[in-house]
Amino acid sequence: MSEARPPEVAEGRPALSESVRRWLMRPEAPALVFLVLLMVVFSLAADGFLRGPNIQTILTQVAVVGIIALAVNQVILCGEIDISTGSMLGLCAVTAGMAATAAGGLVLPLLAGVATGAIAGAVNGFLVTLGRIPAIIVTLGMLYALRGVILLITGGSFVTGIPADTRVLGIGTVLGLNTPVIVLFTLFVVMALVGGHSTWGRNVFAVGGNRRAARLAGLSVDRTRFLAFVLVGVFTGIASVIFLGRAGAVQTTAGTGIELQVIAAVVVGGTSIAGGRGSALAVLVGATLIGVILNGVLLLGVPSVWQDFVLGALILLAVSVDAVRRRMVGDEA
Amino acid sequence: MIRNLRFSRELVLLGVLIAIMLVMAQLSPFFFTLGNLLDTSRYFVEIGLIALGMTLIIITAGIDLSVGAGLALVSVAVGFSFAAGLPLPLALVLGLLTGLGAGLFNGLFITRLDLHPLVVTLGTFALFRGLAYGLSDADAVSSYPAWFAYFGQAYLGPIPGQLILFVVAVIVAWIVLSRTSFGRYVYAIGSNEEAARFSGVPVWRVKLALYTGIGFLVALAAIIYTSRVSTARADSGLGLELDVIAAVVLGGASIYGGVGTVAGTVLGVLIIATLRNGLVLAGVPSTWQLFLLGILVISAVFLNEFFRKREE
Amino acid sequence: MSPSQDSGEGVTGTAETPTIFHLEGVEKHFGGVVAVKGVDFDLRRGEVHALVGENGAGKSTLMKIVNGLYTPDQGRLEVGGKTAEFSSPRDAEESGIAMIPQEVDLFLELSVAENLFVGRRLPRTRWGGLDWATMREAAREKFESLGVDFDVTIPVKHLSAANRQIVAIARALLREARAVIMDEPTASLADRETRRLFGIISDLTASGVGVVYISHRLEEIFEISDRITVMRDGEHIVTKPASELDAEELVRLMVGRPLSELFTRSGSDPGEVALEVRSLTRAGEFADVDLEVHAGEVVGLAGLVGAGRTEIAQAIFGIRPAEGGEVRVNGEAVRIDSPQSAIKRGIFYVPEERQSQGLILPFSIRANISLSILDRLSRMGLVESRAERETAERFAEALSIRGARISESVSRLSGGNQQKVVLAKSLAREPSILILDEPTRGVDVGAKSEIYSLIDNLAKEGKAILLISSELEEVLAMCDRVVVVREGRITGEFDRKEATQESVMAAATGVRSGSAANGPPDREKESGSSRVQEGRAGHE
Repeated sequence: MSEARPPEVAEGRPALSESVRRWLMRPEAPALVFLVLLMVVFSLAADGFLRGPNIQTILTQVAVVGIIALAVNQVILCGEIDISTGSMLGLCAVTAGMAATAAGGLVLPLLAGVATGAIAGAVNGFLVTLGRIPAIIVTLGMLYALRGVILLITGGSFVTGIPADTRVLGIGTVLGLNTPVIVLFTLFVVMALVGGHSTWGRNVFAVGGNRRAARLAGLSVDRTRFLAFVLVGVFTGIASVIFLGRAGAVQTTAGTGIELQVIAAVVVGGTSIAGGRGSALAVLVGATLIGVILNGVLLLGVPSVWQDFVLGALILLAVSVDAVRRRMVGDEA
Repeated sequence: MIRNLRFSRELVLLGVLIAIMLVMAQLSPFFFTLGNLLDTSRYFVEIGLIALGMTLIIITAGIDLSVGAGLALVSVAVGFSFAAGLPLPLALVLGLLTGLGAGLFNGLFITRLDLHPLVVTLGTFALFRGLAYGLSDADAVSSYPAWFAYFGQAYLGPIPGQLILFVVAVIVAWIVLSRTSFGRYVYAIGSNEEAARFSGVPVWRVKLALYTGIGFLVALAAIIYTSRVSTARADSGLGLELDVIAAVVLGGASIYGGVGTVAGTVLGVLIIATLRNGLVLAGVPSTWQLFLLGILVISAVFLNEFFRKREE
Repeated sequence: MSPSQDSGEGVTGTAETPTIFHLEGVEKHFGGVVAVKGVDFDLRRGEVHALVGENGAGKSTLMKIVNGLYTPDQGRLEVGGKTAEFSSPRDAEESGIAMIPQEVDLFLELSVAENLFVGRRLPRTRWGGLDWATMREAAREKFESLGVDFDVTIPVKHLSAANRQIVAIARALLREARAVIMDEPTASLADRETRRLFGIISDLTASGVGVVYISHRLEEIFEISDRITVMRDGEHIVTKPASELDAEELVRLMVGRPLSELFTRSGSDPGEVALEVRSLTRAGEFADVDLEVHAGEVVGLAGLVGAGRTEIAQAIFGIRPAEGGEVRVNGEAVRIDSPQSAIKRGIFYVPEERQSQGLILPFSIRANISLSILDRLSRMGLVESRAERETAERFAEALSIRGARISESVSRLSGGNQQKVVLAKSLAREPSILILDEPTRGVDVGAKSEIYSLIDNLAKEGKAILLISSELEEVLAMCDRVVVVREGRITGEFDRKEATQESVMAAATGVRSGSAANGPPDREKESGSSRVQEGRAGHE
């Protein structure tokens, strides 16, 4: 070490208040704080809100959206977008449902749903990476193309008569917890681990944060994005079995509009639409927040026809806050 | 110069249109009747009007996903305010204002908050539709005075009334885009927004005008649509944004901005309308139509960029 | 305080010192422009080899070839005695060559530790997950060896520019780099941080790593480098030990011709004050800027790259408005919050980056020129094409724009002619105040002198001109007065007669002892750092 160097002052170990401040700057922090506040407000305004069963009900309702959102989160984190999930869910539910009515059980429908989703996701990924077509166009086109495929396969009729043993994932309970909630939490833990401890998970952040530098550093930008799209398909497949379980039948319009709730869950929870910043926790918080808001809105007596409006308002609010935050921090990227 | 390339693209599209028409004629004997062709025009006018506005927006490398929802909102505003007692002419004015307001809303979020148009219009896609559902309580208004049908179902001679409106709109759009300073600004912003700003182009004002303008066009289309089907309901215009964007992209506009023409968009609209109409006549279920449309958009963008890269 | 190593000597004394890499007869062109021609360059173990030259001399291009970003059209690169063909910076990294670019390119949302490891094979724990503890430890060790104490867990976005640079260096070193190329490393560093960097460099060379040091700051170059290579117009001029050169000779070699031959201004007769700027401030970029430009006068804004001149100009033009201070046009205080309001007041700015900021490349020459005055060329919104054509033709002729018809795309023109198009666009608006930002960068000699004549004529016509240029001799030849900017503050002002290369450079680099120039204006407090800003004495 050179002795002629001036005494070093650098980024030292943080003090306690510094740690708190640091935590507050995490992507999920505002949403989490808002969620807690909201729960308090609602429990005061509407009786019985914070009761255990009600919370579980909310989580069960958002499970399908939350599961899909955990995967779409990866797509958004690496700088892309996917709005085809509504039709993808419908399609997966149809194939899973057909497998269920044909063979029953859980394994086959699950496989069918996941396989369908994976293929659809792969098509998306392929078109975006190799086809170099902007993701918004690809997934917008797929949103409608897949809906057409659903109608093609079902011929317009519903898929009904889902056997009970298939529906366990949707309406079963284990130790008092609804299975959708268990699946949601399990996948959340998986994605949290993937996001923090897997190469691909970290690559997603790098690619979304600074695509050019990621490429120069030797990361495979295309493969990273491709896998994200496939993951969306896989998770949608899993969610479709839950959906199947809860609904007991599949209409041709199944899943319509879900893509919006999914995106809302992702951005409202704190993941930046610009990419590179976010987490699995953000998605969980976001999905819960949306569930709480929609539920609370209902409890407050607002008719359910206003749901989409609330959703849209939430999305706009979330991205505006993110934009303001970026401006304050000094948009570096 | 670049003009030559554009010219030949339009020729290709014309060729495609004619080819499709021939195919459709084979599939159904009713296709080539004048009555059918003119009736088709009613449908494509709604898409076409909005597509004209979308062309300019896409040239600036922007996008508006909320047009379908906007249409529903205006339709509901007109129908339900009328049902609530407002005289129909005033209800129509309210509709126009609603469209303008919706567009202005988008425009302000995009320009003043510096948000990406994709995200904003995704939000308003839900917001406007949700507002329509909320205000209409998922109901519909279907009774109007007889004269209201004039907008959507009238004929001026043998020609559907709205077709004339569309032709006028096309001419205006063409003049604006290729002959006015505003149009020049639009191309400049789409080609190099930073250089445009450095040259004194009023970038955010132009963008605000574009998103507000398309709101107006959406309102016009909504009124025509409501008149045509004589119903105002919140689930109108589902999937409209896809038709519109498909038409614009098919017409040669680049999703990355800087490229696009009115002629191309018009041809794109015609192709899509012809496809839809022909398929309906041939008895092909609407399911296939959706599928084809989705594939069409993706392919169109792919081919656009593929050939554009080749040219460079 | 200077590093423990004398310049000119050091570990490279012996004759058998192996060469780390060697460029021979390298040539590179882009389109029709030759960026680098017939250049030889080598880097030895443990040496600091400075690479100097004016803007556009080819330094960055040459190093980008070494770094694997470009492949040479001719000539070859040898690394460690073997011919190397890099197809990407990653290849170069694997061969031990690392580059710290001027704009440090890190992943802002990722932690410091993670930034060091992106792209590498990551250490894993027993059960397959990423081993963060090991990464953090390795990162800490690296920083310690650089004499720095970082919290490696915080996101890089919370670090200051100087500290981000340290992260970039650590990242390069983690890959066992044998050669480190630094491009303008001290451009945004305060004195204290520069000292720290020099310490790190001396440690590097002591352990046998070679450093290529690209910089405009001659005083620093003489302090730390062993050898100096001068490039000019893409060619290799000379390579000598630093001890055998002095500043004056270096400048002469860089510039290539005696100052007086460059251009002779016709006499100037300045009129009223056209543009006046008082206490202009923008946090983190510039502070307390006072400036005056009279009608008919050319005022030069000199300084090093990154001094803040472009930021000042863009603030006056309304691109990124200032936060404090005032601007007066013809004596009247104005508020400029957008380019349009600046243009309305008769100010026009010719940007630094021709292609990305000055031109719409797909547009024709005519459309580019008329873009600034479309409103004047239109009636009721419709553009009058005849008026447009005539205007464009008039300017094309006045500025001798050659190489294509005005209806053709501007992308077909050479750099010099493209610059003339940008100038034409600015002049079309008939501004009374013209701000030119590096107007002759990347322009061939012929077009350069045409642009100088143009500036001269504009001054004679009574326009007030602010000329930003990093080419000293251009500044001295063209300007009636020279204002020097250093790290966001005005550090010197010279009349034409009293300005010399030396005095301007001194004010630009803050060299002369006793003339302690101000440090950079206060940057916003960054979280995660308890950085102490040393106080500075008042400025000259």
